[in-house]
Amino acid sequence: MMCGIARISPFFLLGGLLLAGTVAAAENASSRGDDVTGAWTVEQVVASLKEEREPAVPFEEATHSSLLSAPLIVRGILRFTPPSRLEKEVLEPYHERYVVEGDLVTFESERKRLKKSISLGDYPGLRGFVEAFRAGFTGDAAQLKQMYETALDGNREQWTLRLRPRDPAGRSMVEDIVFSGSEGRISSIVIHAADGDRSVMTLRRGAAK
Amino acid sequence: MRASRWPVLIWSICFAGALWLAATELSIHSDLSDLLPEGTTNTQRLLLTQVRSGLAGRLILVAIEGAEPDELARLSRDLSKRLQGNAQIDFVGNGAQGLSSDEQQLLFRSRYFLSSTLQADTFSVDSLRGALEKRLDDLRSPLGLLIKEYIPSDPTGEFLEILQSWSEWEAPAKHREVWMSADLQRALLVVQTKAAGFDAEPQAAIQQHIQAVFQQLRKDSSSARLLLSGPGVFAVEIQQTIEQEIWWLSVTASLLVVVFLCVTYRSVTLMVLSLIPLTSGILAGLVAVNGWFGFVHGITLGFGITLLGVVDDYPIHLFSHLTRKESAQTTMRAIWPTMRLGIVTTAIGFSSLLLAGFPALAQLGLFAVAGLGTAAVVTRWVLPVCIPAGFVPREIRPDLGRFVDGLPKARIVVPVAVILATIVLIWSDTPLWQEDLESLSPLSADKKELDQHLRQELGAPDVRDLFVVEGTSVEALLMKAEAMMPRLEQLREGRALSGYDIVSRYLPSHHLQQERLKALPDREVLERNLDAAQKGLPFMPGLFAPFVAAVDEARSLPFIDRDTFRGTTLGMKLESLLFSHQDEWLAIVPLRGVLDRTQLATAAASWGNTSVSYVDLKEESNRLMRAYRNRMMQLVGWGTIAITVSLAVGLGSITRLGPVLAPIGCALIVVVAVLKGSGESISLFHVATFLLVIGLGLDYSLFFNRREGTEIERAKTVFGLLVCSTTTILVFGLLAFSKIPVLHAIGLTAACGSLCCLLFSGLMAQREATDA
Repeated sequence: MMCGIARISPFFLLGGLLLAGTVAAAENASSRGDDVTGAWTVEQVVASLKEEREPAVPFEEATHSSLLSAPLIVRGILRFTPPSRLEKEVLEPYHERYVVEGDLVTFESERKRLKKSISLGDYPGLRGFVEAFRAGFTGDAAQLKQMYETALDGNREQWTLRLRPRDPAGRSMVEDIVFSGSEGRISSIVIHAADGDRSVMTLRRGAAK
Repeated sequence: MRASRWPVLIWSICFAGALWLAATELSIHSDLSDLLPEGTTNTQRLLLTQVRSGLAGRLILVAIEGAEPDELARLSRDLSKRLQGNAQIDFVGNGAQGLSSDEQQLLFRSRYFLSSTLQADTFSVDSLRGALEKRLDDLRSPLGLLIKEYIPSDPTGEFLEILQSWSEWEAPAKHREVWMSADLQRALLVVQTKAAGFDAEPQAAIQQHIQAVFQQLRKDSSSARLLLSGPGVFAVEIQQTIEQEIWWLSVTASLLVVVFLCVTYRSVTLMVLSLIPLTSGILAGLVAVNGWFGFVHGITLGFGITLLGVVDDYPIHLFSHLTRKESAQTTMRAIWPTMRLGIVTTAIGFSSLLLAGFPALAQLGLFAVAGLGTAAVVTRWVLPVCIPAGFVPREIRPDLGRFVDGLPKARIVVPVAVILATIVLIWSDTPLWQEDLESLSPLSADKKELDQHLRQELGAPDVRDLFVVEGTSVEALLMKAEAMMPRLEQLREGRALSGYDIVSRYLPSHHLQQERLKALPDREVLERNLDAAQKGLPFMPGLFAPFVAAVDEARSLPFIDRDTFRGTTLGMKLESLLFSHQDEWLAIVPLRGVLDRTQLATAAASWGNTSVSYVDLKEESNRLMRAYRNRMMQLVGWGTIAITVSLAVGLGSITRLGPVLAPIGCALIVVVAVLKGSGESISLFHVATFLLVIGLGLDYSLFFNRREGTEIERAKTVFGLLVCSTTTILVFGLLAFSKIPVLHAIGLTAACGSLCCLLFSGLMAQREATDA
């Protein structure tokens, strides 16, 4: 509200990826066959993400901040319900839940005895990211590349996708976002904030019920 | 013969003088608030001025619709940016503006004065520990990260607490950073003008400016529309309505009268002659009203035209009695006693308007009395001189008299009509009394509805329910307001109301600021407590040094007062919630979502504090209208007595009063029934017109009951009477079609009334004395 967003949660980024994946997969289905043996591309990452998506993934998120002498850890589950509902449930060390549905973010905290909804519109930074992903992954990756400088390293088995916002406003908050994974599975998302803080989210596939 | 020219000379000079006065001095207003009463109590007066010139009156609600949400958001942003620079506009809000960075710094620095959660306990080890743990949670959460920069200097979260408590007023939903209706169909903005809401001219300029800017921003192909609402918009629209109405009323009324006279008398000379008293009367009315009130209201003008239909009675009476045998002067002298009585009663009828104390009516009354008097005088002394010798209007068929003589045989119609009327009065569901001040306004229902709708979507207060707190000084007032806050909170929790805004939410009294300062610990104590609280938590060592320094510094800061926020958006808010009126200070607490008004009134009374009162503005204005109406009723009573007495004196007999008054009494009953039956509740304006109906009706009744010799004379009387009443009914009937409620009420009542009076007078006329 006052200072803009110092850092972006991986939660929203992942949301964007998952949401975008649903559309991307459908539109890329025809072209995927052509490129099976070729180089590993951003387009293929998107398509694979959708294909191997699971309804729920446990995660661990570590926040490294200049205010802190040690990282803060939370654990929980990410859930995705097609077509566009994404939920982050924190189970440890306390219970909290965030749900993104369309433009609306609902926040529920047991400890703070709070339940409130905000519009992404009130948080232009967040909105920018969620929309960038939604738009960027619809079909071709051209639009994504228009909003971010993308750099894909590695191969199908072990890849990292680095996104840097092209927009100066976005750059003032986020230095870059690095996704790592193997085929259609994301293993970690690291966000480097402009002020040097960093958040590392590790996903463990197949561990959730 | 020489001497008889004198009146014409004097009249010419006066007429020219008045014409010159009217041309140079005349000032015409069409602002509705000029016509509103000022209120009878101090509070009423204050509230009415606040409503008219206060903040609420200066807000224009703006909606943009008819395009995709993204396009609406763009228009909203660009419009707000462009309007921001206008010197006539204080503030534009579309949701994109938070507090400016200066304001933020000011608030941040003053947080220990302003925070309502600050207590002696806030800085204890336990409380600090709890606060620090919360900050860790914040750092872990995606939403709380927004506040990271405030953690080192404000770990107890006072600043955010302040912002949160201030944002209690429910803001509309947002899309792309700007306010939108929940369904994303409309982008919403508010514009606060410098000019008062009722000040139609600058308001019109600002609204045109907003429209023009919007048209520039809108792409040509776009279907986006701009909607404006609010008191200022209404003022402009009312002004336009009034101006249009006056235009067509004057033109149509003049045409009607002229055409009707031409058709009945088929004489241009007569037409021109009757213009002499008519124009004199209207001119006199204009000059009198302008001289007395300093301006003539548009509504008065529109009404003044109807005077054409009343004033023309006098020349017509004269014309219809002209014969070839005697001079016009002789005829005039012969009918003068009857005419004089009619003039006196009609004047008494109109003076009821003058005495009502209601500005709108007083102007009409003065206009009418001055106009009638002048027209009568001109008819009596000027007109006969101007009539060419031997001029006689067309012959009247004598059987008209016989027809009229036959009328009383059908007098059974009158009791039947009265009985029917009584039945209607008893059975109609329409409330008898119209008490809403709103009923003065010529705004259409959908405009009012749009306003309500936008207000709801914007969460803007609808300026109806208020608590008013009075105090002798700002400090005393703020302390009273602080004492009220827990009570308001109780009412909110008890669901008597859904929200309120109060000055002490933003501005604590010095006393309270002092108390809060006392809660701040010494540097050593704070450092010790903080160390203990921080134990085991992963905060960087020395992170909270700015916090310790800020608490220390707070003690040496000056107290916050009204001046601190001058020139900021917050300062503007404070101005609307707290202001001085004469020697005292007043705080206004606007309430939202009031469910049970009686509960609020009882609650306010039970607080046992005479300086706090609950005001329902609507009820207050209704009470005002009721008071005026009751006064009007008394006036009608006294007026009736005055008319009766002057009648008795004029007729020289009490027994002849009965036949003259009876038809009018019956007519009034029927008029009320017609009004009620057609779904109209009786307002102040209807009541005021009753006396006018009595005045006009007496005129008819007197002439019908006049003892006249020959049949031909009677035919002339009847013919004149028919012409008079027809013009009266025509112009008042025209007025009944006006969109301006005051004119509509007067027109309908007077037209129905004159018609009934005419009919009943004819039916109930008694002429035994001459029939013999």
